[in-house]
Amino acid sequence: MNIQAVVRQYILEKHLSGEYSDGFEDTTPLISSGIIDSIGVLDLVNFIETRFKIEFMPREIAPRNLETVEQIHLAIQKKLDSKSGVSSNP
Amino acid sequence: MPEPDDQLLHHWLRRTSERQPTFPAILEDERGTTFRELLEDTQSLSAALTRRGLCKGDRVALVLPKSTEAIISLFAVLMAGAIYVPIQPRWPAERIQSTIDDCVPRFTIKESESGLIIVDCTNGEQLPWREMLASSRGACPEPDVAPDDPAFILFTSGSTGKPKGVVISHRAVGAFVKWSAAEFQLRREDRIACPSPLSFDLSTFDIFNMALVGAACVLVPEQVVWMPRFLTQFVREQRITVWYSVPSILAGMLNEGGFAQGSYPDLRVILFAGEVFAGRHLARLQGVIPHAQCVNLYGPTETNVITWYRVPSGFEPSKPIPIGKACPYAEVMMDSSTGALLAGGESLMSGYWNQPQETEQSFVNASGKRFYCTGDRVSLTDSGDYVYLDRLDRQVKRRGFRIELGEIEAALLRHAEVLEAAVIASQDPEGQTVIAAFVRRCPDSTLSLVDIKTFCAQFLPSYSMPDQVLFVETMPKGNRGKIDYAALRKLYAEKRNDEYPGGRPPVHP
Repeated sequence: MNIQAVVRQYILEKHLSGEYSDGFEDTTPLISSGIIDSIGVLDLVNFIETRFKIEFMPREIAPRNLETVEQIHLAIQKKLDSKSGVSSNP
Repeated sequence: MPEPDDQLLHHWLRRTSERQPTFPAILEDERGTTFRELLEDTQSLSAALTRRGLCKGDRVALVLPKSTEAIISLFAVLMAGAIYVPIQPRWPAERIQSTIDDCVPRFTIKESESGLIIVDCTNGEQLPWREMLASSRGACPEPDVAPDDPAFILFTSGSTGKPKGVVISHRAVGAFVKWSAAEFQLRREDRIACPSPLSFDLSTFDIFNMALVGAACVLVPEQVVWMPRFLTQFVREQRITVWYSVPSILAGMLNEGGFAQGSYPDLRVILFAGEVFAGRHLARLQGVIPHAQCVNLYGPTETNVITWYRVPSGFEPSKPIPIGKACPYAEVMMDSSTGALLAGGESLMSGYWNQPQETEQSFVNASGKRFYCTGDRVSLTDSGDYVYLDRLDRQVKRRGFRIELGEIEAALLRHAEVLEAAVIASQDPEGQTVIAAFVRRCPDSTLSLVDIKTFCAQFLPSYSMPDQVLFVETMPKGNRGKIDYAALRKLYAEKRNDEYPGGRPPVHP
């Protein structure tokens, strides 16, 4: 399963359980929309850290990095790249 | 220590600053502010605001995180004889605005892209905070403030959907602070940390004890408050001696923050309040820091802290932790008919802001005295300690935040496609509050869960958001046509059992 799918499934299971999750896209705001609250964000980070074996610093846990599935994907990818020595700047 | 009869919060700051000008008053990240600096800045800002027209009894809205600037601002407001109204910047814009509309401030202090600004609410003029501070050095004559004059207004969840402002006087908060300083032997060598925002009544403890006894107020960076592993590191590295928070934060540090692996020789007092602390977590805490005294403080915003319980070592984890006995400035008793705790004494609120009727309804007269009805049902142990049982009404607590379920219903009902809404609360296996909303939509509505949550986020703070929204075709009703909440709770339990026999599983990586 790719990164986006893993994150999407987590949010669906944890925050949008039930059959009425229409309208949930990879660009749907998660924090400003109230889908995930501040504790939910930390649970999400905890999940990501364990699942992808990466670590976030407090300043990185900001809505600009985690507001949508797309942004979360980018944040994870950046961490994975820097871990494996891949530069994110072409 | 200031004169024992001095009841004014800003007088405490002045006297302590004169006594120990070079001691640290506020520590925030790498930055330290001494008492002299704090007093000078407070006086300058107070003088500048006064010159701009701030008068005794005016309100000043502080839409600020807990920061050095916020603390300077609140003391400046008090020094001018005015009332500060702390507002969380993270609240939804609509809630911030409705709070401002309600308290009608003379000035609003808030963050902007260009830095901290002071908005003159009479004409909308925006004044840079730093420039205002620099424009006026030195003190100006203070108005005559009485101990019963209001010091601040704390807005809490209101059952009708509109937050209500609890007006607290210098005397009321002073009673708690002075008692806590004496009881826990707070001194200027102490380093106090309390991660609650200014809008939360727990925040009176660290800020005003700093002013009273000269202890350092160590500000917890907002981004680590709910990050247990960094918070644990903060407590250790900042050599915190006195800690005060909601139990959820302590439980997080114990369960996920590696708290048990650390050593905290400086930490001598751990205070907690705001919600029920599970005995098993407390027992672990006592095991990690056997030398620290652990104390349960209790009291709604309307009363400040009114009862307390010092937890004996080796507390039996399966027992509920009592809320204890009355603080010396408070008088408490159990209402014989409802079992609710009634609170009287010096620390009571003055009333609800602009709501005389609601104020009147919240008090009862007993034995010729005025008591606030907390709505918390209690029992009394053989040793004379009160134990919290449950609520008489529909108020719940989540992470120490007070939530009126009616407020969530009111938010849901604002949506044009919602015909009926009912909200219930239950507890998950960990004892955390789970909020479920039942919604009946208009017949042709395609309203989704995402739509509902997005809509509610405009009005509700994140801690009030429902965890689950269940759409129903009909709302169960009782004989009188009222929503049958017991039936909804049953329905919810059944649904949870259907989905997750044996309980909802954690989402594993």
